[in-house]
Amino acid sequence: MKAIITARKLCKKYGKFKAVDRISFEIFEGECFGFLGPNGAGKTSTVRMIHCVSPLTSGTLTVQDMAANIDNRTIKQNTGVIPQEITLDNDLTVRENLQVFAHFFDIPRAEAQKRIGELLKFVELEKKRDSKIDQLSTGMKRRLLIARALLNQPKIIIADEPTTGLDPQARHLIWQRLRQLKSQGVTLILTTQYMEEAQQLCDRIVIMHQGRILKAGIPTKLIEDEIGREVTEIRVSIDQDEKLLAALAPLACGHERVGDTLYFYCRDGHALMKKVVELDLPNTVHRPASLEDVFLKLTGRGLIE
Amino acid sequence: MNFSYRIVYVFWRNMVSYKRFVLTTFLASLIQPLFYLITFGIGMGAYIGYFGGKPYLYFLVPGVLITSVMMTASFECMYGTFVKMVHERLYDSLIATPVSAEDAVAGDIAFAAFRGLVSGSLMMIVAIFMGILPVSLLSVLLLLLLLIIVGILFASLAMIVTSFAPNFDFFNYYSELVITPMLFFSGVFFPLDKFPPWMKTLSLFMPLTHAVAISRAIFLGVYTRGLIFNFLVIFILEVAAFLIGVRLMKKRLIK
Repeated sequence: MKAIITARKLCKKYGKFKAVDRISFEIFEGECFGFLGPNGAGKTSTVRMIHCVSPLTSGTLTVQDMAANIDNRTIKQNTGVIPQEITLDNDLTVRENLQVFAHFFDIPRAEAQKRIGELLKFVELEKKRDSKIDQLSTGMKRRLLIARALLNQPKIIIADEPTTGLDPQARHLIWQRLRQLKSQGVTLILTTQYMEEAQQLCDRIVIMHQGRILKAGIPTKLIEDEIGREVTEIRVSIDQDEKLLAALAPLACGHERVGDTLYFYCRDGHALMKKVVELDLPNTVHRPASLEDVFLKLTGRGLIE
Repeated sequence: MNFSYRIVYVFWRNMVSYKRFVLTTFLASLIQPLFYLITFGIGMGAYIGYFGGKPYLYFLVPGVLITSVMMTASFECMYGTFVKMVHERLYDSLIATPVSAEDAVAGDIAFAAFRGLVSGSLMMIVAIFMGILPVSLLSVLLLLLLLIIVGILFASLAMIVTSFAPNFDFFNYYSELVITPMLFFSGVFFPLDKFPPWMKTLSLFMPLTHAVAISRAIFLGVYTRGLIFNFLVIFILEVAAFLIGVRLMKKRLIK
């Protein structure tokens, strides 16, 4: 596979604050690549450098064999951006929003009209074409942002937390559309703090924390390597830990105590559950391991502000 | 500096949004200068009588034209641009397209100058209806050109202010400390020659003084050699303010 984006020792500083700290990664053509991390991990700073709206502090960043920098109009011409914040033009209608943007990309008028019609259909906003932006729901606004990002038929799409604040219906519709784009051969770059979203969409992910990449890989493999297949959560008071751990010791599980819960990460979840039934522990949850477990293990369970 | 033809696209975006509130802006940009014309021109003018051989309104109108351009262009690049930049984050989505930050800011300055031209032209039409006419058709054309130049100048100066502004209140300082004093010390309402020397010197540092002098000369068709100086000041200030305004805005937009 050919790398469409390559970063080497990429750094971004705002004054003294290091938002991105010497990270390296490669993104291949046609894949969906996810940046995961808590707030302030450096995800948005990284993608802003990729789509050339933020200058690099140091390191190298190549996008489609071109050096990324803020004056590179060619990269911007080939990239679609679904921003984190809703940056629609409130003075304009839905259709005018798209028309004005088509201008910015030098799309001829007739071609623009055609694409706008198709895109409004794609994001299911045909009926709202002449509405003002403040008459749209948050989900509709997000969908319009997707249509806007697709106007220039980009080869690379950057979606910066595209489903934040959406209801499940709207979120699933957006996932559908993003997967559809990927199947058309577009390279998709996603930042998110929703693990489910990353599992749904991404071929490969990196987990970022405090400007660095902690882990990189395929989601299912990361879960398997870091956590295992299954997780058992037992809610018991802390004074029973010793007794419980002694009883479960022969099973060789990894465990972790967080607040009111004891987490067990086992290869053989079946044997553990048998034991749990024997010991009669009613407040127990047994579930498949998820990316969220990996994420919490790597970035810690404390609140990150 | 990374300018391109896309400035036109940004200008066009502003026109698309302008068409929704064009009538209210007509009203807003006419009211204050109209007050000046009525209170100073007709009310006070009645006591002043003739001024260099012509009614006082011939002195006042060329100044008020420039004033209306100054007000409209300044406020567009302060409040208008600030809303687009901070509240609506429009610039953020603009610079993610092939439009550069320089294009975006220049497009906004061009639009502010256009709005200035519209209010100045409206004032001129009002004046013509009042029977106060520029000396010739050539004068009218030169005046329109001047209105554009003055619009770009004050739009650029306002951009500099906007590039620093943390919030709306900040614009009050500029209006109260710069715009309002200029209005009274630049020879819009009365000639500067009775001022003490230090005030005359001070007025030379105000761009409005020079713009009004040129406007009055064109309106009356009386050209003197001093105008070259006035014109040079406006020209140099304009180029400097434009480049500085664009640069500072770019610094604020790109992080």
